[in-house]
Amino acid sequence: MTAGAAIALADVTRRFPLKGSREGVLALDRVTLDVRPGEFVALLGPSGCGKSTLLRMTAGLDAPSTGTVRVGGEAPAAIAARQGFGVAFQDHALLPWLSVRDNIALPYRVAGRRVDAARVAELIALVKLTGFEEAFPRALSGGMRQRVNIARALVLEPAVLLLDEPFGALDAVTRRHMNLELQRIWTETRTTTLLVTHAVEEALFLADRVVVMTGRPGRVAQDLPVPFPRPRPVEVMREPEFHRLSDGLVAALEPEAAEP
Amino acid sequence: MRIARDPRVLGLLGTLLLCLAWEAIGASGLGGFTWPPLSRVVAMLADPDRWDLFGRAAGATLSAALTGYALGAAAGIVLAVLTHLLPPLAPGADRLAAGMNAVPSVALAPVFLVLLPAGGTPATLSGIGVMFLVYVATASGLRAAGAAHQDLFSVLGARPAARLLRLELPAALPSISTGLRLAVPAALIGAVIGEWFGAPRGLGVLIVNGMQNFQIVLLWSAVLLAALLSLAGFLIATAVERAVHARFR
Ligand SMILES: Nc1ncnc2c1ncn2[C@@H]1O[C@H](COP(=O)(O)OP(=O)(O)OP(=O)(O)O)[C@@H](O)[C@H]1O
Ligand SMILES: [Mg+2]
Repeated sequence: MTAGAAIALADVTRRFPLKGSREGVLALDRVTLDVRPGEFVALLGPSGCGKSTLLRMTAGLDAPSTGTVRVGGEAPAAIAARQGFGVAFQDHALLPWLSVRDNIALPYRVAGRRVDAARVAELIALVKLTGFEEAFPRALSGGMRQRVNIARALVLEPAVLLLDEPFGALDAVTRRHMNLELQRIWTETRTTTLLVTHAVEEALFLADRVVVMTGRPGRVAQDLPVPFPRPRPVEVMREPEFHRLSDGLVAALEPEAAEP
Repeated sequence: MRIARDPRVLGLLGTLLLCLAWEAIGASGLGGFTWPPLSRVVAMLADPDRWDLFGRAAGATLSAALTGYALGAAAGIVLAVLTHLLPPLAPGADRLAAGMNAVPSVALAPVFLVLLPAGGTPATLSGIGVMFLVYVATASGLRAAGAAHQDLFSVLGARPAARLLRLELPAALPSISTGLRLAVPAALIGAVIGEWFGAPRGLGVLIVNGMQNFQIVLLWSAVLLAALLSLAGFLIATAVERAVHARFR
């Protein structure tokens, strides 16, 4: 474990019970991963390799079978108790009875803090939902809901941002737009971020480091530093070096992708 | 065709058929002399000389049912919230609620008659029936919040009070509103049965008097009035339930 790591997963194994199997499912097998303060790490891997499990353990929603998870040197629960996490998970988890504005303001209310209306309005504008403040989630498209989800994750300016395929449901254009926005926000705040994604380009465009995991059981297969300087313009995606790294990552993912 | 399939039209048609059958059986004497035609029952209810009697009786029953409904619903919700916050209490509360519901109110009524101050039995029986239904509905509703929402609140560092107020109670409202709808007939039944066993006035008292004095039409009038009151309350509660379901789901 590196001293001073913002997120430190040491030798983490997670075994889930499975009906009809005595040893259960080995979702994560001795994963060690350090994220430095202010670092953006993208996590790539085939479906079912334990990416969400890893993120949930970082957020304190699940505990490793063996190994330790520390965030800022503390147990994840301690960070959660003082609203240190911003999360946007695969399932948008918006409250159906709250409007867009109230959903984004929810972290303030849960924390018992006064709602900063200006900050909420700023985030609504950032995710391009101006005019939809009073709309309920059921009246929004999947992409719009996911944008509310992201705004809610950012609203308290968390110390650690955990994103689980937040753009998975978006169309290519909106997705690229959100990538640009996320990069812009991130460059301003330099929040320690762990992003799970299936998109190789997204990982390379956003992250300082791309960690590739193997299929079940999940292990760290590759840990690739991304060389492009910041701020990164969109043009970075057209550079030969970007394509070379991208091809390498796709190849690293492929053996599992070919499996049934 | 489309009109015929509308559930409201079908419901109205069914009610009409039932009324006609009632009238026919009563008029033909098939049901014996304790089965008066519907028209005679309605005529008695429509007789202005009787309005005072029926009005006071219905008022007394309604007030007992409303008191029982309000107190029972509040007690049911409070008990469910308490057991939700203190899970070790849950099995005991479940057994208490189920036990109270399992004892027939006809058996409870004499006990309350002895225990309670005069006139308290109808509202108490009504409240017990309501409390059970609302407790069960609330307890299951408080568990209705989705896992993803629970996880979100955990990551946001929610304390139990914030979780209850901002997630679990709103998520429970559809279930609570359904319980409140089902509790409407229970409230009236409790009040009427309570009145059988001793109350100065009320529809239950009219029913018992009608029975004892063989005033069959009066008996049926009181029964019909109680049913109409219950139906009206049920319809109001259904409208509330619809609105809650539309908003909180
Ligand atoms: N609560 C659970 N109970 C049992 N098994 C689980 C549970 N959560 C995850 N698993 C198992 O752990 C493995 C990893 O799941 P996880 O959701 O972390 O994968 P993932 O990498 O996020 O997949 P995807 O890319 O499809 O989202 C899977 O085999 C899954 O069946
Ligand atoms: Mg996942």
